[in-house]
Amino acid sequence: MTLPRRSLAALAALPLLPWPARAQAWPGRDLTGIIMWGAGGATDVVARAVTPAAEAALGARIVLQNRPGGAGAISTQAVHAAASDGLTLLYGAENPQLHKVLGLSQIDYADFFPVNVLARGVAVIVAGRDKPWNSLRDLVEEIGRAPGRLRMGATGPGGLPHVVGAMLNAVTPIRVISVPFDGEGSGLTALQGGHVDFMPVGLAAAAEHIRAGRVKPLAVVNPEPLASLPGVPPVTADFPGFSRYLPWGPFYGVWVKRDVPAPIRERLVAAFRSAAATPEFAALMERSGNVLMNISGEEADAFLRRWQSVTAWLLHEAGATRRSPDEFGIPRP
Amino acid sequence: MEHFLLSWTNPSLLALTAAGTLAGIWIGAIPGLSVTMAVSILVSFTFAWDLNAALAVIAGVFTGGVYGGSRSAILLNIPGSPAAIATALDGYPMARRGEAGAAIGLSTLASFLGGMVGVAALALGAPAIGEVAILFAPRDYLLLAVLGILLVGSLSGESLAKGLFAAALGVALGMAGLDPMTAEPRFTYGSVQMLGGIPYIAAMIGLFGVAEALHQLREPEALRATQRIGRIIPPWPRLKRHIPLTLRASGIGVGIGALPGTGGDIAALIAYDHARRGTRAPEVPFGEGAEEGVVAPEAANNAAVGGAYVPMLTLGIPGDAVTAVIIGALFVHGLRPGPLLLTETPHLFWFTVGNLALANVFLLLFGLAGARAFARIAEVPRAVLIPLILVLCAVGTFAIRNSMADVAWMAAFGVAGYLLRLYGFQMAPIILGMILGPLMDASWRRTVIAAGDSLAGAAAEAAGSAISLVLIAAIVLVLLRAALKARA
Repeated sequence: MTLPRRSLAALAALPLLPWPARAQAWPGRDLTGIIMWGAGGATDVVARAVTPAAEAALGARIVLQNRPGGAGAISTQAVHAAASDGLTLLYGAENPQLHKVLGLSQIDYADFFPVNVLARGVAVIVAGRDKPWNSLRDLVEEIGRAPGRLRMGATGPGGLPHVVGAMLNAVTPIRVISVPFDGEGSGLTALQGGHVDFMPVGLAAAAEHIRAGRVKPLAVVNPEPLASLPGVPPVTADFPGFSRYLPWGPFYGVWVKRDVPAPIRERLVAAFRSAAATPEFAALMERSGNVLMNISGEEADAFLRRWQSVTAWLLHEAGATRRSPDEFGIPRP
Repeated sequence: MEHFLLSWTNPSLLALTAAGTLAGIWIGAIPGLSVTMAVSILVSFTFAWDLNAALAVIAGVFTGGVYGGSRSAILLNIPGSPAAIATALDGYPMARRGEAGAAIGLSTLASFLGGMVGVAALALGAPAIGEVAILFAPRDYLLLAVLGILLVGSLSGESLAKGLFAAALGVALGMAGLDPMTAEPRFTYGSVQMLGGIPYIAAMIGLFGVAEALHQLREPEALRATQRIGRIIPPWPRLKRHIPLTLRASGIGVGIGALPGTGGDIAALIAYDHARRGTRAPEVPFGEGAEEGVVAPEAANNAAVGGAYVPMLTLGIPGDAVTAVIIGALFVHGLRPGPLLLTETPHLFWFTVGNLALANVFLLLFGLAGARAFARIAEVPRAVLIPLILVLCAVGTFAIRNSMADVAWMAAFGVAGYLLRLYGFQMAPIILGMILGPLMDASWRRTVIAAGDSLAGAAAEAAGSAISLVLIAAIVLVLLRAALKARA
């Protein structure tokens, strides 16, 4: 044995080496990206659009899989159950932030590290094109004249229409029939067929129908008007009380488990930051009516906590939760 | 017109459409690999491509994939996709009689003709069909689902009671998972996996594929028919007889395909039922290898492709899951899919129409060219075939949503399906229940909720709607005919 004593000692110490030394070889194999919603949905489109540039920046392939089901709970649990090696990414939307209070799952984004919150959607309240209302105030007055008669398109508990409806109800009590559809697309279809009267909906889903004049925008659920929807007032114009909930909207992002080693997190953050900054991605977000965010780490965590606090308490006060946000230490907004 | 012919005359687009169609036939033939999945992968894959090239491949894969499902249905009794379930009912018995080649030939011709009717409807009637399709209210989807569930009568085999039991079982299985309207977990027993429900494709692969493999193990080897593959295309007088049925089934396919809430799977089942009720004297009884039972569903599911494009291109509303993905693809490629797509980019419409027509021509070519070789699969010895089927079933099920739990479901359905078959239960009503159950559940509740929790209100609304009245009349007619038949 001519092996110097020093090399032997180094060999023995190899498993004890700090992470930075070992992370040199990361990723070493293809990454897996698990998409929370099905093919063709908003989350899917965002994920598939941002990934090619992130792959280039990372120098590794990311194999994307859709694993929908349980309003995102299934893929959230799958990524949570995977190893903390940063090789399994979660492409998700806002849904897990409500899973605790809706009693669906005990896992939310507190258990994950936000690699990037890519973009935020803006909600807009639209009505059928032949309706006489021209503002949100008109609609609210009509609801007041015939309480419990007008039909609002919705997408189920915790969905965007439900939350915006709860905001409106908190600002000015309204009583409407909320008809749940399979998604925003089916709700908008029903609106155009005259089966519901109005619907709060993501601008991404409604933009083209608004542009074609097939649905009538009454207000954007945002503190300021949007450049992409000139002439449509913010909700705060008619109902200033809305401002305490805003800005609010669905969001899309990429997460890894919270305990992934810091050097790996940093590489992922850098890769997705540059991918989300490409002009192609920015243009896609603009076209689809989303606000580009491209935030990560602390900044993203703060955004996620505020979103959860506003939304969970709003739903709780509307009587739509199964568990109180208090039980999970979610602070009041 | 020049845009219509673009993909016919441009060599690279021609080649891409051909490649897409061929790939689609293979993807469609493998149970579990779905067209939706293939198209969504293509969206990433074709991200940097020219838009026309991407759309050419997608149209090919869509057309080929819907057709491909019939291959495995006929040869192995495993529908490659839910839209091919009805094809298996008579296609597989034909193959068992040694007429696999003829069944493939018929399904190819019917798919081609159905596909062309779909394209023609898209080209000539798109805006009008789209506007009618969105008028369907939740109650109309409920009525449509009720009309669909009456199919049990046609799918039950020897005993209606057993058919009803199987369909009810399917409905109950379809309820598992997160309630789409209240997010209440149903039959999940605290498992997060179960929140996603039981995928009906896993059930379909188990009930048809695995159960069939187990069933075959019981038969002596000698029973395998030698395939008569001399004639793939049936003689003209026989073909001529099927043309009216093909056209009627295609009409059903276009209509159901254009509805935003229903697709090729329901279209094929309703067309099968139509054929069964409408054919006075089939040469061979339905369920034992009637040619009409292959022609009708195959024409309908390919006509549904053109139908699904109708609301997508005219209104920006997807007609089914695949067109939903195509809308995403258009977005990624810088277009604005919506009601203005037709006015702002009319060339896209004609390009798509031309492209779909071209894909149907390739479907005809590839379908007939491969028929002889494929028919031989029905002669492969069981010792080779059965292990292959089982591997294919496991891989295909895993591919649905990359879940081992689904593979376990598939295996369990296989064993359960084998036992049910031994006691004379049919598999098709179970899948029918799983597909239509959730549609009925959601539409029923949506109807009643929208009427302010009032049944009378919902009934009054139905009485005031032409679409609802037509559907109610259709249901009454089907029930009356069944009652008259029972008395005769």
